[in-house]
Amino acid sequence: MPFISQIERQSDYSSFHPSRPIVIDNGASYFRLGWAGETDPRVIFRNIVQRPRHKITGETVTVVGDHNPALLKYFDCTRSGPRSAFESNVVYQFEIMEYILDFGFDRLGADQSQIDHPILITECACNPVQSRGKMAELLFESYGVPSVAFGVDAAFSYKYNQKLGICNDTGLAISSGFTTSHVIPFINGEPVYEACCRTNVGGYHVTDYLKQLISLKYPHHISKLTWEKVEELKMEHCYIAADYASEVQLFQRGDKEAEEKTRCWQLPWTPSPAEEPPSEEEIARKAAVKEKQSQRLREMAEAKRSSKINELENELKGLEFLLEELKDIEDDEIVSFLASRGYTSKREVESAFAKVSQSLRKAKGEQVPSEEKVDVSAVEKYYLIDIPDDELSAEQLKEKRRQVFLKSTTEARQRAKQKRLDEELEKEKEKKLEEQKRLENPERYLEQLRAKYKELSEKLEQRKRLKTNGNHANGNNNVSGGVGRGERLNAAQRERMRLLTTAAFDRGKGEDTFGQRDEDWQLYKLMSRDNDDDDDDKPDQDEAELAHISSRLQEIDPTFFRGSESGASASETPRFRPLTKEDFQIILGVERFRCPEVLFNPNFIGIDQSGLDEMVGVSLRRLPTWGQGLEDKMTSSILVTGGSCLYPGMAERLEAGIRMIRPCGTPIKILRATDPIMDAWRGASAYAAAIEFPQQTFSRMDYYEKGEDWLRRYKFRYTI
Amino acid sequence: MEREVMEAELVLPTHMKFKKIQMYDKYPKGQARGRHWKHLKQIIQAENYENYPPELPTYVNIETPPSMHPGKKICDITGFEAPYFDPRTKLRYANTEVFKVIRSLSNDYVQRYLALRNAAVVLK
Repeated sequence: MPFISQIERQSDYSSFHPSRPIVIDNGASYFRLGWAGETDPRVIFRNIVQRPRHKITGETVTVVGDHNPALLKYFDCTRSGPRSAFESNVVYQFEIMEYILDFGFDRLGADQSQIDHPILITECACNPVQSRGKMAELLFESYGVPSVAFGVDAAFSYKYNQKLGICNDTGLAISSGFTTSHVIPFINGEPVYEACCRTNVGGYHVTDYLKQLISLKYPHHISKLTWEKVEELKMEHCYIAADYASEVQLFQRGDKEAEEKTRCWQLPWTPSPAEEPPSEEEIARKAAVKEKQSQRLREMAEAKRSSKINELENELKGLEFLLEELKDIEDDEIVSFLASRGYTSKREVESAFAKVSQSLRKAKGEQVPSEEKVDVSAVEKYYLIDIPDDELSAEQLKEKRRQVFLKSTTEARQRAKQKRLDEELEKEKEKKLEEQKRLENPERYLEQLRAKYKELSEKLEQRKRLKTNGNHANGNNNVSGGVGRGERLNAAQRERMRLLTTAAFDRGKGEDTFGQRDEDWQLYKLMSRDNDDDDDDKPDQDEAELAHISSRLQEIDPTFFRGSESGASASETPRFRPLTKEDFQIILGVERFRCPEVLFNPNFIGIDQSGLDEMVGVSLRRLPTWGQGLEDKMTSSILVTGGSCLYPGMAERLEAGIRMIRPCGTPIKILRATDPIMDAWRGASAYAAAIEFPQQTFSRMDYYEKGEDWLRRYKFRYTI
Repeated sequence: MEREVMEAELVLPTHMKFKKIQMYDKYPKGQARGRHWKHLKQIIQAENYENYPPELPTYVNIETPPSMHPGKKICDITGFEAPYFDPRTKLRYANTEVFKVIRSLSNDYVQRYLALRNAAVVLK
């Protein structure tokens, strides 16, 4: 029945005679309180105090022990967490201790003016006198207790099991508690503290280690990993490996056995609503809307076109009419007539006419007359070109210059066109050639293409990396996340900085020869800032080639997928992925035995002390030498007790460990306490019920007479 | 106070009938005096254990000495046996995959892993 609180108020307090002792097992994790002579404690709760604020009234209240967590929703617990009166296994905070005792006595049903019962309370082995004295002071002065006795929990547990016949009167007790583990030897039923030893590792460290490991592994679920939950996980899943090295190798190989040993904790998870593909109706509706819109656009374009045609036709008619009129008019009147219409010459009217008719034809969608037609008239158009300059008047010269310019531009245009045509032809030819190659051996062709693509894209990638950021190329050497100035600059900028610094600090070595050679001056060109983005403007041939190949690959290879796109997007921005059930799982593999292993290897958590198995050796060595017989007697009665001994595999591991440090043939017997958690209280209860118990106590009279310091010499006898 | 809280008697009453001195008298509100508690280190120092005969068991001398065996070196991330040590992060690691992981960890996480075995850099 570990870790279940029992906090109902008892009603039979007044039925106990004042001589009946109250027994308290004051453990670092649990506080157990009850009547001497009974088999089970009456009140059990976690040895913690919380001082939260009530959310509505704002007053600070004291809450002792663990309660239904649902009730704590009325309180603001953010300011103060649970606090313990213990540091390591020593009580030091007596204000908290007082709250705990208040609560304990209150739940035991105490209702008189003082606690009029002797008290037996447990403490750690070799408790500092200061702590013991303060505890006595508290019990005597605040509660009016008539007498107090202090005992060690592990010793009570050993004695209890000795009484049950599980272990002998000479033996060892291995007790692993919440914050510390002890090995205490017993000779003739009395603990030998001279030979005991303590390692500051216990259940707290195991749970804390597990909690830290999981929260480092699953930072997203940190809010779910409360102390209580991790404690629960520890108790449910942790075990002690018979041999850590071989067990871990099992997991490293990923055997089936390891898989079976892996446990999984599924966190509450509701699948996000899956996006349903749109229904057919929806698709049809959308298509209809789209079609409608495009229809409207087309209609609008049509209307615009027809209105333009109309306009042009009108203009053409006007011009035709004008030309008709011109035929009838005398030559000398033409100029004035035209001026009234806004034209200067007949030629202009004609050209306007041609222009309008041409654009009309274009608007109607007819073939535009080819330019050769224009070329026919070229000879007349450039009629002045072939005539030498000196035969021409000033006006004609001007005209000639214009004609020369026009001619050269048209010719250049034509040349460019011809070139384009040639290139197209060339490309067509190339394509044909490639197609032929492909048809000859499609697979090989594809392979070649792919290889080329890969090579090119890698080359480009490399260049891009170099250009944008140096530190990728250097192999990601800034783990700390800090980026120095050098790493922020790109390659060109860094080169510039280097040149500048060398120029600035390159002094002193002999004569300054700068400028003797012409190349020296090139330095300034390199330094100039314009140099930086030189290659950005350059049209990149490789890039074009890559684009070409990739488009070609896309055409002929159905499996082709643009590497640069997929690769870059996958590495730079992880694509959004719907969360799955697996994302809400906490996997316990190696952690299951790695965490309790700290009991045997405290150096896992940086504590430089021996583990449980070695402690036995230390303890035996510390014994006053009474011969080999005693040591053998001891190892044949090793009792394991305390909450951290509940792990499966504990006894086997201890036996193996102790066998290693003891001589061959040593009798070793590991015995598990009947109830490793409750035995200390039961032993204490049985002890306090004995008639001789009052002789072992320290009374209030003694306290006032002899003072706290007497407690230094206080020695408790377990065999009475 | 809510009814269910009252029923569970969650809150410790300030006045206890069975006590000779009540908490509110012993530790008056707003007064820090008498509330200072020596920490374990200070308690041990005040005990002056060095004046005691060495054969007398005390809280300090019953402590277990360091292990006689060389400490097992395990991978800080996976718990596997760790033959390697990364000089940059000071983490121990088992294989190349773990190495990849530790080199991608942020400094914060590295320090937290180191703190697990009490090896983190502590600035004072």
